[in-house]
This record gives sequence, C-alpha cells and structure tokens, in this order.
Amino acid sequence: MGCISESGFLTLGQLAASGARHTMSDTPTIAIVDDDEAVRTATASLVRSLGYAARTYASALDFLQDGQGACPDCLITDVQMPGMTGVELQERLRAEGSTLPVIVVTAFPSEAMRQRALASGACAVLEKPFGGDVMVRSLQSVLEGGPLS
Amino acid sequence: MAETPDAAPSRIAAVAIALAVFLIDVATPLEGAVAVLYVVVVLIAARAFSRGGVILASGACLGLTIAAYLISHDPEAFGSPLLRCLVSLAAIGITTALALRHKADAAVLAEQARLLDLTHDAVFVRDRHDVITFWNRAAEEFYGLSAAEVIGRVAHEVLQTVFPTDRAVILTELHRTGRWEGELVQRVRSGRAVVVESRWALQRDAAGAPLAVLETNTDVTERKRTYAQLVASERRYRTIFDNTRVSILQQDWSAVKADLDRLRAEGVRDVAAYAAAHPDFLARARRNVVIVDVNSVTVRMLRAPDRESLLGPLDDLLPEADPTFPLSLAALANGERFFEGETQVRTHDGGSVPVLFGVSFPADPADLGCVLVHALDITERKEAAEALLTVQADLAHAARVSTMGELTATMAHEINQPLAAVVTNGEAALRWLRRPAPDLGEATDALGRVVTNGRRAGEIVARIRGFLAKSPPRHESLDLAEMIGEAAQLLERELARHAVILRQENEPGLPRVRGDRLQLQQVVVNLMVNGIQAMAAIRDRPRVLTVRTSRQEDGPVRVDVADTGEGIRPEALERVFQPFYTTKSNGMGMGLAICRSTVEAHGGRLWVSDAGPGAVFHVLLPVD
Repeated sequence: MGCISESGFLTLGQLAASGARHTMSDTPTIAIVDDDEAVRTATASLVRSLGYAARTYASALDFLQDGQGACPDCLITDVQMPGMTGVELQERLRAEGSTLPVIVVTAFPSEAMRQRALASGACAVLEKPFGGDVMVRSLQSVLEGGPLS
Repeated sequence: MAETPDAAPSRIAAVAIALAVFLIDVATPLEGAVAVLYVVVVLIAARAFSRGGVILASGACLGLTIAAYLISHDPEAFGSPLLRCLVSLAAIGITTALALRHKADAAVLAEQARLLDLTHDAVFVRDRHDVITFWNRAAEEFYGLSAAEVIGRVAHEVLQTVFPTDRAVILTELHRTGRWEGELVQRVRSGRAVVVESRWALQRDAAGAPLAVLETNTDVTERKRTYAQLVASERRYRTIFDNTRVSILQQDWSAVKADLDRLRAEGVRDVAAYAAAHPDFLARARRNVVIVDVNSVTVRMLRAPDRESLLGPLDDLLPEADPTFPLSLAALANGERFFEGETQVRTHDGGSVPVLFGVSFPADPADLGCVLVHALDITERKEAAEALLTVQADLAHAARVSTMGELTATMAHEINQPLAAVVTNGEAALRWLRRPAPDLGEATDALGRVVTNGRRAGEIVARIRGFLAKSPPRHESLDLAEMIGEAAQLLERELARHAVILRQENEPGLPRVRGDRLQLQQVVVNLMVNGIQAMAAIRDRPRVLTVRTSRQEDGPVRVDVADTGEGIRPEALERVFQPFYTTKSNGMGMGLAICRSTVEAHGGRLWVSDAGPGAVFHVLLPVD
C-alpha cells in the first residue's frame, strides 16, 4: 500500500501532501465518521447510491488509526461524539498539514461552532437531518471542483 | 375592785381602833369628842373594805358612838356631852360620804387605766418635763421595758426618739392646738429601731397651763416596709411598662366575665363556637373589653398621636375578621391563665400590623379589671417569611423551567438522530431506485432502515412522555393540616386585607399523604387565593373561607376549599380548569389548569362544585 511509510504508519498529513488520491480505483472514497450507527449506515447508503465508495468509522480515533482506508477523497464527520469531536478531528488534520476536504454535519448547529469549523477549512457545515440534495451538491463540489456551498 | 394585799391587817387595825375608841369613850370621863376618832376607822375601812364594808363600818362606828353616849351619860340630860356626840356623829357621816365618793372616783380611774392596758397601742403619759408618769401594758410589751423601769425617766431619752422635724416646732403646735400627730423613729430595749405613728394629746390644768401629754404610739414598721416594697414593685412595673420594647396594653375584662358567667349558667360549654354562631354576643364582648392603659411602645406601634387616643373598646383595635378574640374568650371561660396568638391589629392611621400577643388573666376574677396583654410587632418577621416563600417558589419555578430546557435539549438530540437516519435512508432509497438500473436490494435495505429508525423515534417519544408523567420530582410524606396551616399563615395579610374570615376544620388523626410539598402547597394557596378573590365583591354576607380536611371512606384524603363568593355557573364548572380560562382582567387562566395537572400527577383528583352561595373546590389525594 502506497500509504504505508517506513515506520508502517503514515500520517494523514503526509498522505495528503503526497497527493495520494484515487489509490484504490477511480471511484472516489468517502470516509464517514458518526457515533450513531443508524446515521452512519444511512449516510453510507446515500453516498454509495451516488456512485462513491464509502468507509464508516464509529469515532474520530477509529478513523485516525485506520491505516488502510485512511486515504479518502472526502471526510464526512458528525460533531457531537464521545472522545474527540468532529471539529477537533478536522483541526487535528489541518494541524498535521492535511488538505483532505471535510464536510461537517451536526444536530446542534450553533453559529460559534459553524465559524470554528469553517475557520479550520471545512468545505460545508450541514444540519441534521440533511436533505439528500444538499449532501449531493456538497460532495460534487468537493470532488469535482464545483463551487462550495 | 381587787382588794389590796394589806387589806387583812388594815381590817384588824380598824376593828382594834374602833374597840379602843369605844372603851376610851365609855370608860374615861374625858370632856372631849373622843368619838371623832372613829373617823380614823372609816378612813382605814375605806382603804380596806368594799363600798358595802365601808358603809357597814361607818354604821358600826355611829352605833358605837351612840352606845357609848347612852352608857356614860344620862340620855335625858341635854348638855355639852350630847353636843359632842352629835359633832362626832356628823364627823363620821361626812367622812363616810367623802370616803365613798373618793372610792367611786378611784374605781373609775382604775377602770380607765385598765382600758389603757387593754389597747394594743403603746400609751404613756409624760409630765411637763417629759418625765414618764404612766406606761401601759402594750408599751411594756412593745418597747420591752416595764413600767417600773421607765416611770420617772425622760421619755425621749429612754426611747431615743428621732423627731420628723425640730422638736420645738412640734411643741409649738402641740401647745397651740392641743394635739400633734406624726411619725417617730424610736428604739426598743433590744436596740432595734421601730417606726411609730404617734398621736399626742395635751392635758392642761384649770388655769390652762400644760400639765401632761398622753402619747399613743402605733407600730407601723411592718406597714412601712410593705409599703416601701409596694412602691418599689410599682416602680419596677412602671419601668418595665414604659421602657420595654414590647407593647403592653392594660385591659378591663370584668364586663365580659359577667357575660361569660351567664353563658356558663345557661350550660354553654364551647364559647368559641357560641361566639361564631352569635355575632351579636361577639360584638358586645369586643366592645366590653376596654383598653385602660397602653405604654409608649404601643403608641408607636399603632402609629397613634398619643396614649389617650388608644384608650377605649378593644373593638376599635381588632379587625372585623379577627379569629383570635373568640378563642381568648374561650380560654378565659375555661379558667386558663394565659392565652397567646397571632393576629392583625388596626393602626391609628387605618393600616394594620401583624402581632404576636399574649393575654395574662389574673388568678382572681375580681382582678379582671387589670388584664395585661403584651404584643410584639412581627411585620419584619412576616415579611422575611413571605420573602423566603416567594424566593422558594421562584426557585422551584426556575428549577422546573431549567428542567424543561434540559428535557427539550435531550428530546431534540434523542429524536434528531433517528430522524436524520430516516431522512437520509429515504433519500438513499430514492436514489437507489432512480438509478438507470435500479438497485432494488439496496433500496429495500434503506427502506427497512427507514422503518426501524421511525420506530426508534416513536419509542423515544413514548419514553420521554412516560418520564414526564411519572415526575412529581420529590416525594415526601406530608401532614396536610400542617401544610394548610402554613398556607394560611402565608395568606394572613391577604385574608385581613379582604376582611375574610378563615375557618380551618381538620379531621383529627388524618393520615399523611405523599407528594411534593411545594407543589401541593401551591395548589392549596392557589385555591385559597381564588376563594378570597371570588368574595371581593361580596357586601351583603360575611366573607368566609373554609378549608376542611377529611378522610374519604374509600381511603383518600379530601381537602375542601369553600368560599361564600359569587359561585360558578353550572356550564362553567368544567371550563374553569381549561388553560387560558379566566374571569380576571389580568389573569392568565393557568392557575387552576396547573393545579389540576399537579394534583393528577400526584394520583389525585381536583374538581369544583357550586355550593350556593359560593364555590367549593375538592381535592382528593391518595394516602401515604
């Protein structure tokens, strides 16, 4: 796997810097992080119905520790999660130099949280329950260079 | 008259002299009136014999004189011997008469002296030079000095008399008026000082010159001390009365006592109930208790211009609906010595003051003219208590609001997740189906998850509803009567302001109920306030709010809150519990709705009935 460093563990920052996209196939892979299984599964189904590949994680830590699938084309993450929140995950990726596009979803949108997410480079902040069209547009703009919502 | 100890020798001497005179008279031819010497016999007899004895002795002497004359002279010869005999007879007769009169005088004097001995007052006589000449038995006992010890001595030296003013001044008055009265301090034999009330009377001789002074002294030492104690006690009482921070009212209850005695004679036992049933009796009693005196604290407390303006019938002071006066009447009727309570009293400027008061009834009904009532202004205490309760109520409200806020947040989060899953799965299913080659498997899976998550959301809603229904937050065991008492206290001012008479009737031995103290108390307060306000427009009948507790036969405890107000129209009986139903211009119409939901959350029931006049709210609560 091209993502593996000599130490056997490549940081996402290094991954992003190496431009390691589309390593598995031409189908874009979307990583989905949500502690609620029902939402996770539903989001994955929606993503797949759009023709993308989906990988799901129950927590931010699970995602960070997954060496194999850790080279997605886009990350969709929930905010309120035990352990590390979605916004903290996004900030950590940025801090490590990653340019991975991130879409943040939340059931409790607040202006402060939205500002904080956008400040650390989120492509979109979506409110749960989000409509399919909104998610489709966000993904398309992220993956095909369209205008961000 | 008691015979003198030397009576016997005197009698013998009298007889001997009489015999000797007779023998000389008969046997000697002395040309003289020997028989005149019988006078000596009469004089001795006057000392030695009683009045009868004196007369007898005198008769004997007369007989002996005549006998001697007849023996030694010719009775038919009229000459000098006969003349001498007649002179002797005359001398004996006159002497006898004088002796008898003297004897009578002496008897009177002795009787008077004996009377002086009988009196309890110390009596003595002193002459012009203040030398004691007479000293009665009471004086002997009082001063511890015998007559023999003091007669012949100067009185004021013996008694170390201290005069109230200059002695010369006293003597001047005595000589001018013949009398003097005053208080003297003297010393008795033991050296103890005594205070006497002294009365002097001056005796003058025929020429009007001062002869002697009769001094009569009464011991007033004890009386003086008792009086001094009384004065000190009165002064202490006055000090307390005037300077204490407690209001004190002196009242006259004697007129009321007569009424109560009459009731007792008629067989009335429960005076409080009688007073409630006989307003005219109560009104008379309130007028018959009269405020006689008040201290300065009372004047300030009742905001009066002066003491006098507060004197008069108690009726002026008590508000119309005062509940404590009939109870104090009952206490007096039952022979209790003390009654205390809490009430409102009218101030002079038309306001009212809450007071804690105590009535002390005297032990002797004869002293009911002076009943002391002390009262303490508890405005500040009441306000503090009310403020505390308000704060508690506010806190409880805030706690409920914040609980609601938390609940809303929890609900939003819990429901939002399955809702998000439903929407996303639905979207996904649509897209699987809309593909150029619809993926029925994926679509079916997604729709299955729609159903699952929809069900999950439903379960969450059911769980929250169940949580809400089961949430009288704090359950404790409650004494309803006590709680109603607290509510009544809280509303005391409100009751007084609206001139509402509150009756609390609690069934004895009522079981406790289980629930949230604050919530149930708010229900009671709410129902009572409703009752008070419902009577605001009533003018033609007493405004009575009755709060009654009782036990239902089938178990639950029942609270009835009855007013004598306008009542509720039959068609409105159920509507009053609907939210936003109100008859008040500024009401929200939420009070009764909240009351009902609170009572129902406690497993109880709340309903209303029309009692004409007025309405009765009924609360049923399950027992603990």
